[in-house]
Amino acid sequence: MTFDQARVKLEESRPMTAHPSRWRRLRPGDWAVRLGAIALILGVWEFFGPTLNKLILRPPSDIFRAFFELVANGELAEAMSQSFRELFGGLAVALVVGLVLGIASGRWRFVYNAIDPLVSALYSVPAVALIPLLPVAFHSIGDPPRIAAVALFAVFPILINTQQGVRNVDRQLLEVARSFNTSERRLWTDVIIPSATPYLLAGVRLAIGRGLIGMIVAEFFIGLVGLGYLIISYENVFRIDRMFVPVIVVATVGVLMMGFVQWLEGRIAPWLKKEQ
Amino acid sequence: MNAQQTRISVERATKRFSAGGLTVFDGLDLAVRDKEALCILGPSGCGKTTLLRTMHGLIPLDGGRILIDDAVVSAPRRNVAMVFQHFGLMPWKRVRENVAYGLELAGLPKATTDERVERYIEMVGLRGFERSYPSQLSGGMQQRAGLARALALEPDILLMDEPFGSLDALTREILQDELLRIYQLMPRTMVFITHSIEEAIAMGDRILVLSARPARVRELLQVDIPRPRTVDSVIAHPRFLPLRDHCWRLLREPAA
Repeated sequence: MTFDQARVKLEESRPMTAHPSRWRRLRPGDWAVRLGAIALILGVWEFFGPTLNKLILRPPSDIFRAFFELVANGELAEAMSQSFRELFGGLAVALVVGLVLGIASGRWRFVYNAIDPLVSALYSVPAVALIPLLPVAFHSIGDPPRIAAVALFAVFPILINTQQGVRNVDRQLLEVARSFNTSERRLWTDVIIPSATPYLLAGVRLAIGRGLIGMIVAEFFIGLVGLGYLIISYENVFRIDRMFVPVIVVATVGVLMMGFVQWLEGRIAPWLKKEQ
Repeated sequence: MNAQQTRISVERATKRFSAGGLTVFDGLDLAVRDKEALCILGPSGCGKTTLLRTMHGLIPLDGGRILIDDAVVSAPRRNVAMVFQHFGLMPWKRVRENVAYGLELAGLPKATTDERVERYIEMVGLRGFERSYPSQLSGGMQQRAGLARALALEPDILLMDEPFGSLDALTREILQDELLRIYQLMPRTMVFITHSIEEAIAMGDRILVLSARPARVRELLQVDIPRPRTVDSVIAHPRFLPLRDHCWRLLREPAA
C-alpha cells in the first residue's frame, strides 16, 4: 500500500511499504510498445515467413483475406456460436463450482482436508488425458461433455485462488470485525468476500485461458465441431491461411475476455486501483 | 456516576501462551475508574496489548477475571470501542464507510449513523476525505479515521492499543494533541497502551507501569498535571521531568 502524498497536506505522510503498483494501469507509452511489438512480429512474418516455408507460413495478409472468406460463407459465425456456447457454459460451471468449493475449503478445515488431495491430483493430471472419458461419462458426444471439458480445464485456478483468498484474510481485520461485534453474515460481506475478490478475479483470468484450450481440445476429441473443427479440417487440406483464422479468433477472444475481467476488477474492486 | 467509581476491574488475571509455555502476566490486579484516562506503560513485549485484548474480550484469560460495570467480560461489548495500532481499516471501504462500520453493526437508524459519521469525521479533521480509500491516506489520517470509527459509537470506554505507535514523531504529536482536545470535549473512561513515557504522561490521569514479562505492576502513578492539556503544556509543566525520570527508573531497573 502506498499513500497519495499529493493530497495530504495536513501532516507528514510516511509510506508504510514501498510497493508502488506501477504495473496496474497502462500508460500511453505502454500501448505504443504493445502495438509496436505486434506490428513488428506481423511485419517479419509477412515478409520473411513465406521465404522459410511457403506452404506453412502463409503471410498475415493471406490470413486476413481468409478471415473475410470465412465470415462471408458463414462458417466462422456458425463455428463461433457453437464454440462460445461451450466456452461460456463451461466457464459458468467452473465459476460456480470453483467459488463454492474454494470458499468452503478456504473457510472450513474439514472441507479443505476432504478435497485438497483430489484437487492437487486433478490439477497435476494433464486434463487432456481425461477428455476421452467425458463422452463415456455423459453418454453423449454433444455439448454436455464439451462443456464439462471446459469446466475441467477452468475450475482449478478459480477454486485454488478463491481458497487462497479466503484463507489469506487479514487476521487483524477479523479481530477488528469481532471488536465491533460483527455477525457471521456481516463478517463475510465486510471482510472475507472483499478480501478474496482480487484473488478470485485473478483466478478467473487464468481460467479463461485454460478454458479456451479446453474448448478447442474438446472439439478435437468429442464430435469435431466449432472452431476446433475448422482448425482440423483446414489443416488436413493444407489451407493453412484458413486454419489460422480460428486460431487467431481464439487468441483475440482470450485477450478481450481477460481485458474485460481486468476492467471488471476496477469496477468491483476500485480500492485496488486507487492504491497509487 | 461518582468520579471514583470503578469501571473496569482486573482481578488476579493470568494469561499464558501455549499450554505451560510463556506466561504473559500472572495474578495481575488493576482498577480503572470512571472517566479517567489510565495509561499502561511497559517495555516492548511485556504483554500490554494482550492485557488490553483480554479487557475487550477478544482473547480469553487463563485465570482470574475482568469485570466491566460489574459484569464478567467474555466477548466485546457495545459500550466499549477499540483503536488499533495497525489502524484496522477495511481497505475496500471508503473513510465514510469505515467510520460508519461500528454504527451499522450496532444497528443504529440510518439518520443517526449519518449524523454521527459526519460529526466525528469533522471532529477528527477528515472532512473532505469521506470518499477516500484508506490506501490514499497517510498513516496519521488513517488513524484519524480509526479514531472516528471508535468515537462514533460514543462508547463508555475507549481502549487504545498503542494508537500512535506506528506513526512518525511529528504526526504522533499532532494526533496526541487532537486526542487531548477530543478527550476534553467528551471525557470518558480510557485505557491507553503505550511504550512512550512522554505519551503516557501527556495522555494519562494515572500511569500503570508494568515490568517486563511476566508483567507485574511496578507502580501506579498519579499524573498531577491539570487539564486541559496540550503536549507542549505537559512538557513545560514542572511535574513533567520528575515524572519522566521516575518512569525511566521504573522501566530500567529490574524489579526487586
